[in-house]
Amino acid sequence: MPTANTQEENSKSELQKNHGGGGGFTRWAVVAVIFRLALIYFPGNLNLSSRPEVSTPLTSIRRLAEGYWLKQSSMSPYAGSMYHGSPLLLSVLGPLTVKRIEGQPGHILCSLVFVLADLISAILIRATGRKLQIAYRKSLKSLNLPNKSTDSGALSSGDIAALVYLWNPFTIVACVGLSTSPVENLFTILTLYGAATGLAPLAAFGWVMATHLSLYPAILIIPVILLLGYGPDAPPSKLFRSKEHGKVGDGKSSQEIIFSWRRAFHLLVWTSLWSVYVLVLCSISVKQHGSLQEMFQRTYGFILTVEDLSPNIGVLWYFFAEVFDFFRDFFLIVFHSNILFMILPLAIRLKHRPCFLAFVYIAISSMLKSYPSVGDSALYLGLLGLFLDELADMQFSFFLFCGYVGVSLLSPVMHNLWIWRGTGNANFYYATAMAYACFQIVLVVESVSSMLNHDRKLTKLSTSKLQK
Amino acid sequence: MAASSAVVAILASIWLCSSIAADASGSSSETTMHTNNWAVLVCTSRFWFNYRHMANTLSLYRTVKRLGIPDERIILMLADDMACNSRNKYPAQVFNNENHWLNLYGDNVEVDYRGYEVTVENFLRVLTGRHESAVPRSKRLLSDEGSHILLYMTGHGGDEFLKFQDSEELQSHDLADAVKQMKEKHRFKELLIMVDTCQAATLFNQLHSPGVLAIASSMKGENSYSHHLDSDVGVSVVDRFTFYTLAFFERLNMYDNASLSRLFNSYDPNLLMSNAYYRTDLYQRNLQEVPVTNFFGSVMETVHTDSAYRAFPQKNTPRETRIRTGKTAEDDSRRSILTDMTKAECPFTRIVSSLESKMETVGNLDSLVNYGLVMILPVLVVSVWLST
Repeated sequence: MPTANTQEENSKSELQKNHGGGGGFTRWAVVAVIFRLALIYFPGNLNLSSRPEVSTPLTSIRRLAEGYWLKQSSMSPYAGSMYHGSPLLLSVLGPLTVKRIEGQPGHILCSLVFVLADLISAILIRATGRKLQIAYRKSLKSLNLPNKSTDSGALSSGDIAALVYLWNPFTIVACVGLSTSPVENLFTILTLYGAATGLAPLAAFGWVMATHLSLYPAILIIPVILLLGYGPDAPPSKLFRSKEHGKVGDGKSSQEIIFSWRRAFHLLVWTSLWSVYVLVLCSISVKQHGSLQEMFQRTYGFILTVEDLSPNIGVLWYFFAEVFDFFRDFFLIVFHSNILFMILPLAIRLKHRPCFLAFVYIAISSMLKSYPSVGDSALYLGLLGLFLDELADMQFSFFLFCGYVGVSLLSPVMHNLWIWRGTGNANFYYATAMAYACFQIVLVVESVSSMLNHDRKLTKLSTSKLQK
Repeated sequence: MAASSAVVAILASIWLCSSIAADASGSSSETTMHTNNWAVLVCTSRFWFNYRHMANTLSLYRTVKRLGIPDERIILMLADDMACNSRNKYPAQVFNNENHWLNLYGDNVEVDYRGYEVTVENFLRVLTGRHESAVPRSKRLLSDEGSHILLYMTGHGGDEFLKFQDSEELQSHDLADAVKQMKEKHRFKELLIMVDTCQAATLFNQLHSPGVLAIASSMKGENSYSHHLDSDVGVSVVDRFTFYTLAFFERLNMYDNASLSRLFNSYDPNLLMSNAYYRTDLYQRNLQEVPVTNFFGSVMETVHTDSAYRAFPQKNTPRETRIRTGKTAEDDSRRSILTDMTKAECPFTRIVSSLESKMETVGNLDSLVNYGLVMILPVLVVSVWLST
């Protein structure tokens, strides 16, 4: 079958091309790791761990150290409302916060863990990008459409996305500032990688751990099921169906995308297995001085009830500082359903592109979650690079870039004016938070619309080809 | 024989008890650590022409704050009618020197008892700690057995009395009773009373409590004089005794270890125009070894330890409590009856309870969690390999 051979040869040549780009990626990745290590050796981690943009009540390493100390003093780590994270993270990172090595900066072991998490995340993004690109090219070939993928130089979109993730100042700051968001991002990316490569146990493990660490990746179950069922991102399925009607008696295999219920079922089985395992481990860990119910109340309950109103780059703290108690529950429901009600329409509209759907979900939850930080933004900005081929025509890209740079420079200034100098007030800081939310909204809206435009363009091209 | 031995035994027991009591009372002040410093600064006069008494008290307040005692541990009692008095040419400013170099009434003066609250009753309530329940904590002397207290009083006084706000008087036996109550209630470790009035030394005649040091500006039959008249403000602005006390302290900072004997020896009778008197018979320590910051400042010796701070004692695990009770056999039999009864129950709860009992026998739950975490990796690898 000549066509099958050429397909194989094409994919092999693509892989060889990417191997040339692999050298470039490895070089830049090593430099990124060295840069992070250099920043870690600055005194006091450049005081980044005390910035509200970097460390929130959920991700702060100091709270983790406090929780570990409480546990060592035979008390529940959740006593005193300092630590609000997972007990498993406490068992892993807790001893590292206490261990000191002579002549090295404090918390060096924790910093190394976070640098390693960043590196693994970048490698996984690169692998996911490669899978997505191969699937994209295959689908374009099956539709007989010209390959417009931007293979700029030696780097594929996966490489670019991984390098964007590594070199994003937000990621670097979150890693050096010792917040636990690199670990949370690692599990989210692991979920996407497992789903894109069709490995249900891996995807289930990543999803369970990501949900366990921070509640919001729970909504990623939908794109993960869609990824495992439908496969990686592809043009709308109606294109393939019209292709079927157009060319009859062709030797090409039917590219009809059928939802694979078997894989979805596997995913659900593995999810339940992994969640039982994690819950058993947690219950053993908290058994001595607390209970599982207390753990849920202090972790998920803390996230959902927005107890801590210290300033961050999100939009919830200011609002809940002034809302009356009578209306507090109502507004909690409103703010959380702000994320929930967007799930279904986006899933319906973007079900043929589950990886992009996951990106949109992550972007929305990073913006509207209770305690956002720059680590959450780093995640979706890295994933944005995976879709460079489809989003090449995105409007306002320069405006958004300038907006992000401007907000990330102004926000610490306004915080300083408010807290340290006393010449500003909370409105200054909240204005930058609102501007940041606006830029994120524009980014999400523009990326979704440019993806839909891309699909419309493909539809037009393929129907025009059919008519020829 | 038996009677004499009984008498000897009774005498020995009495001696033993008294020695133990003496030890307890004597060693209590030696074994308790000095942990905090308090200052009670009282100005007992009002009206414009007693400007200097308020300036005295505010100067000492400033000194004591400068040397480290925070506002929470200072009780300041003033009539506070000088700074905003209509006769004050410099409104909201109080000076203790005619060069007007220092405004004592700055923006961080916290007066706890002002105006007509400065009464003998309130003063004694502050010292003894017997307040009504509605009195806020900032107005209470919350000292404990490790406190060093500085008590400074200034105003008009006489032979064994001190005049309060021109309407009442505090007598020396009132003061002695209050100090005795404080000692009984362990409200101080050491107390320094400093009084700047006429015939101030007579105020200490009735004091008997140990651990009290007292210094007065003049002896019986002598007056304490003001230092100088400020022609701009129109009244005398400071008293001599307080002026020379401040001159001694202005040279110091928080970390100087000038001793109390140096302070007491710095008073020159010719300059004071009276004899400063200090009473040390109730005070055990040698004045040359006691730094002034023990009373006038707040410098603590910190001891750095490397050992971890155990905040709470280990909670008793159920295992230990079961070992503790002597009736283990009964408990075992009772427990076996219970387990026989529970066999009829749902097997899930049985499994869970058996797992829990097994886990209690496991030494360290943390190591179990760590094993569980480490086991994740091979399980993941195996599951991924199985699904490809």
